[in-house]
Amino acid sequence: MAGTGKGQKLFLGLVFLILYAPIFFLIFYSFNSGGTMTSFESFTWEHYAAVFEDTRLIMIVFNTVIVALLSSLLATTIGVLGALAIVYMKNRKLRSTLLSLNNVLIVSPDVIIGASFLILFTALGVKLGFTSVLVSHVAFSVPIVVLMVLPKLLEMSNSLIDAARDLGASGKDVLTRVIIPYIKPGIFAGFFLALTYSLDDFAVTFFVTGNGFSTLSVEIYSMARAGITLTINALSGLLFIVTVGLVLGYYALNRRSKTLFTGVKR
Amino acid sequence: MKDLIRAALAVLIVSALLMWANAELGKSAGKAGADTITVYNWGEYLDPDLLKEFTKETGIRVVYETFDSNEAMMTKIQQGGTSYDIAIPSEYMIEKMKENDLLIPLDHSKIPNLKHIDPYFLDLPFDPGNEFSIPYFWGTVGIAFNPELLDGDYDFSSWEDLWDPALRQKVILVDSAREVIGMGLNSLGYSLNSTDEKELDEASEKLATLAPNVKAIIGDEIVEMMQRKEAAIALTWSGQAADMMSVNEELDYAVPEEGSNLWFDNMVIPKTAANVDGAHKFINFMLDPEVAAQNADWVGYSTPNKDALDLMDPELVDDERYYPDEEIRDHLEVYRNLGPEMLGDYNERFLKFKMEMN
Repeated sequence: MAGTGKGQKLFLGLVFLILYAPIFFLIFYSFNSGGTMTSFESFTWEHYAAVFEDTRLIMIVFNTVIVALLSSLLATTIGVLGALAIVYMKNRKLRSTLLSLNNVLIVSPDVIIGASFLILFTALGVKLGFTSVLVSHVAFSVPIVVLMVLPKLLEMSNSLIDAARDLGASGKDVLTRVIIPYIKPGIFAGFFLALTYSLDDFAVTFFVTGNGFSTLSVEIYSMARAGITLTINALSGLLFIVTVGLVLGYYALNRRSKTLFTGVKR
Repeated sequence: MKDLIRAALAVLIVSALLMWANAELGKSAGKAGADTITVYNWGEYLDPDLLKEFTKETGIRVVYETFDSNEAMMTKIQQGGTSYDIAIPSEYMIEKMKENDLLIPLDHSKIPNLKHIDPYFLDLPFDPGNEFSIPYFWGTVGIAFNPELLDGDYDFSSWEDLWDPALRQKVILVDSAREVIGMGLNSLGYSLNSTDEKELDEASEKLATLAPNVKAIIGDEIVEMMQRKEAAIALTWSGQAADMMSVNEELDYAVPEEGSNLWFDNMVIPKTAANVDGAHKFINFMLDPEVAAQNADWVGYSTPNKDALDLMDPELVDDERYYPDEEIRDHLEVYRNLGPEMLGDYNERFLKFKMEMN
């Protein structure tokens, strides 16, 4: 962008204002002693105290993070292997079929994925709870990882592999020292995207939770049905601060060791 | 490759730490290894302090889960894969669950506190002899209104008041077929369980003439809209009205004299229960007058526990809006399960009514 004019800056500022205003509005009222979002009475920490006192709520937050971390890790592993298989497949027809099947999963509505998992789990007699949520999260994250890794694999020149072979690399060496370092940015991007998908997923999770296991989005939904309490505001405020902290940390880390994420071989 | 392995290890370690923290938290919430019961309830429908007290008293840990509609609850129970020991459905849903054989009969000898319940609320048509259910809270359907926002003196002692041409664009209705069609039937003096096509046709026609006065047909947002004075009149449940009034004292609530709905939420033990004995203990605990009084105070709905009423704020208990006396209650009707066909008819009429709004 060559030279941002005043108008452009104004527009940009406006867009950011619209995007962030609801979040700040929410956080602002989390300090309200009045108990509702209608009028601000006076400053209080009581809603934050309520969040920390509610062990059930904290356990649900932890559950949500555990499911997100584990499901994205598993999905990344499966997704990377899947992308490799698709790219290096000899049979062209099978390859394009697999790719289309992968894309169908991305566009198919969450509600349908969730409902079909519920039917599957009940048919198999799997108890709803941690496992069912984890498995379904892995399932909807895999296609995303595949989609993030695939372009990196396709843009990689085959001569890199040939060169490695010429220099005496074994099949394992080619994979771990040439291909994987090259597609590393894609792998990280896939992991983080899967993480965010899992953290905020509502529709699929809603169907497959049960037996006392719940994630944050499902819990907030049932809390909100009975009227928003400011505890939700406080919790959202905390989560927002943690997210901002993570993003800042990511950038700090990124600047210090550029190689980590750009994939230049060390 | 090394970074990837390191990153994966970091993820695993963080997850393990969180799992450990969760296990510790779970232990501090209740005794480790003690038996547990799972309670499946509406959101914000039980004082959480009481769960702790129950654990202290009996040593049974409570896993608490919430649902947002009778239908969602029944689906989860019917699908299996869950082990809810207590659920709290509304009365028409109990008839339906009974038909589907989803409930375990109660052992009344394990619930001595049943004697505290007002006999008026026992042995009702949806569950004769309280074989499967024990009343938890009850309430009415009526009109919440804000006199400050209305010109003129309205008391909404009649459904007819809603049709007043002066109330153009002022009324919001709860998005629920039985409540709205029921209001139409009641305003004509018919039963809100009517299955007579002619009566229903009349009610539909009558409702269509309400259209100019209707501002919106919405769900739980009603509470906030009334609190924020964005709407003046709402067809709603007594508990929601109590919620509104706790924030905005200008509001008032009335149950029209032609009749309205009297509803009950009841504790039941679903077929999926894993700890039937613990579930009985929980029901008995909730019926203790002191516990019931504390719970009613926290939730804001009306308790059927007559001995709890003595322990509560007399101003609230004598309030006819929340605790109408028997004479008024006799005008009220409990929803009967009309069967899927009739229910479909109600839903279709309601849908048509909603389409006529636009």
